[in-house]
Amino acid sequence: MRTELSTGKKTALYGLMCVLLIPFVFPTWWMVTSSVKPISDIFAFPPDIIPRAFDFSTYSKVFELQPFARQYWNSGYIAALVTLGTMTFSSMAGYAFARIRFPGANIIFMIVLLGLLIPAEVTIVPLFQMFNRLGMVNTHWPLILVPIFGAPSVFATFVMRQFFIALPVELEEAARVDGLGRFTIYRKIALPLARPALSAVAIFTFLHSWNLYLEPIVFISTPEKFTLPQALTQYTDAYGGAMWNIQLAAATLTALPVLIVFIVAQKQFVEGLAHTGLKG
Amino acid sequence: MAEVGLHSVKKSFGKVDVIHGVDVDVADGEFLVLVGPSGCGKSTLLRMIAGLETVSGGEVSIGGRVVNELEPKDRDIAMVFQNYALYPHMNVAKNMGFSLEHRGGSKSEIAERVAWAADILGLSHLLERFPKQLSGGQRQRVAMGRAIVRNPQVFLFDEPLSNLDAKLRVVMRSEIKALHQKLKTTMIYVTHDQIEAMTLADRIVVMHAGKVEQIGSPLELYDRPANRFVAGFIGSPAMNFLPVNVRGGRVLLADGSELADLGAAAPPDGDYVCGIRPEHLDIGANGAAARVEMVEPMGADTQVTVSLAGQKAHLLLRDRITSNQGDTLFVAVRPARVHLFDIRSGKRGN
Repeated sequence: MRTELSTGKKTALYGLMCVLLIPFVFPTWWMVTSSVKPISDIFAFPPDIIPRAFDFSTYSKVFELQPFARQYWNSGYIAALVTLGTMTFSSMAGYAFARIRFPGANIIFMIVLLGLLIPAEVTIVPLFQMFNRLGMVNTHWPLILVPIFGAPSVFATFVMRQFFIALPVELEEAARVDGLGRFTIYRKIALPLARPALSAVAIFTFLHSWNLYLEPIVFISTPEKFTLPQALTQYTDAYGGAMWNIQLAAATLTALPVLIVFIVAQKQFVEGLAHTGLKG
Repeated sequence: MAEVGLHSVKKSFGKVDVIHGVDVDVADGEFLVLVGPSGCGKSTLLRMIAGLETVSGGEVSIGGRVVNELEPKDRDIAMVFQNYALYPHMNVAKNMGFSLEHRGGSKSEIAERVAWAADILGLSHLLERFPKQLSGGQRQRVAMGRAIVRNPQVFLFDEPLSNLDAKLRVVMRSEIKALHQKLKTTMIYVTHDQIEAMTLADRIVVMHAGKVEQIGSPLELYDRPANRFVAGFIGSPAMNFLPVNVRGGRVLLADGSELADLGAAAPPDGDYVCGIRPEHLDIGANGAAARVEMVEPMGADTQVTVSLAGQKAHLLLRDRITSNQGDTLFVAVRPARVHLFDIRSGKRGN
């Protein structure tokens, strides 16, 4: 039952939210404003909340110094493929673990979950050797295949399984009586109803792929094939010093799609989390 | 339409046997109700007919064809579930036409069948709505529409009215009965509500602990229950059970007072449990003395709780009475309305 808060409690709650807003919003605000400040103003103390001067040339320099559009495309299409692949595989695996009774299902699920406990740093060397043997180093294949079949997909499978477990069994039984087979039930009944969970998986996966850093620096060596997190580290002067304002302009452009995706899909994101019984 | 046969049907979940060899033959066009308390196996039996549970032993046949190994879709049955099981992402028309669509029906044929079913169930104005936009009764009707649209050989209902409030349940009960009269299709209906069973069924199967206790028409079960379980389960308020001694045809209570004289129809002398329905206990000038414990006027009837030879018993009277707590009444029962059950086996003795 929802209880109405008293005015005093409401004021305290909003006050707390205003205070919390500072650590959450300030870094983003600082990134965006610093991207249009001259370098000398960036580290001024106290920092300027509103820039004294606006220099938008940093944004054009982002594209001059590196094939940034190409790198943007690389990140975009890789994240899209990873998201699509993970949604497909995790929803099928999650459905199988939730609904199909087969010997050893629980043990197999536990083994799959173990994948979450192994850090990426531990598996990166054997993965490099494997992809090297397959001639896939300095291609985008490792950045696509590793997340689809790795830890992010395991987490997505867990999310989907939790959702499908909560789906009333009678819906599937009604579908069986209506004449549907197992795969058609998954495709026409379970999957359309799993939209909140799928949205959450999509956002998680997209974010993970978009932010992937370790794998690109291990597998990719050509700037044209770089993804954005890797490209951000390349905005340095002749002496290796960071070109802060240009780097922050690139960072702003990098963060933009993520922010847009989150703002657009935050309702599904929260619903998806609620279905898993997990908290963010 | 088709007859349904259950022959020595058994069901086990692991080592636990839940159905112990059920034999029932359902005639073509019959309305059969499976009734019993929770956990008696009635829903499991229905699900075995539907093909949603495997059959551990025996044979299930529909229309003379053994269907043990057939998938639900190949049995030509339709089922209405307790919680309706409507597809939330489809509107009413789509929900109703989904099975036809999946079976490759043409658009015009589907539209025609959906319109026909919607017309019968009064759903024509709701076809574009989604399940969440419907009331409980409307959802129930859509679930029935989804079943009838395919014109199956057998309808299966699994406690379809349990989620409705009391008033709506009565309305929907009448609608289901009217639907059966209109379609004349074989219907098998599961409920734990004996009033639903009595009002709807051509025949009732009373189940208890995975076994069939009795099969018969509603009035057969009411008038001549085969054992104490059926006697206690069928009828509302429930039958009174009193320990009695039968001597020379006379039914005597524990204090020696005479309840009825069965004459030649009496079973051999001995101790029995006597079952009397509350509505069959009459108040008169003669009979066994009973002390009034409680009077509950219900408008049309009055329920009176009395102490009869030290045992609590209920009377359901059509007339209003002026007696109060502590008063003494004389109660009697007509011999034809006395049910005697064996003390040990609980089987009918007269």
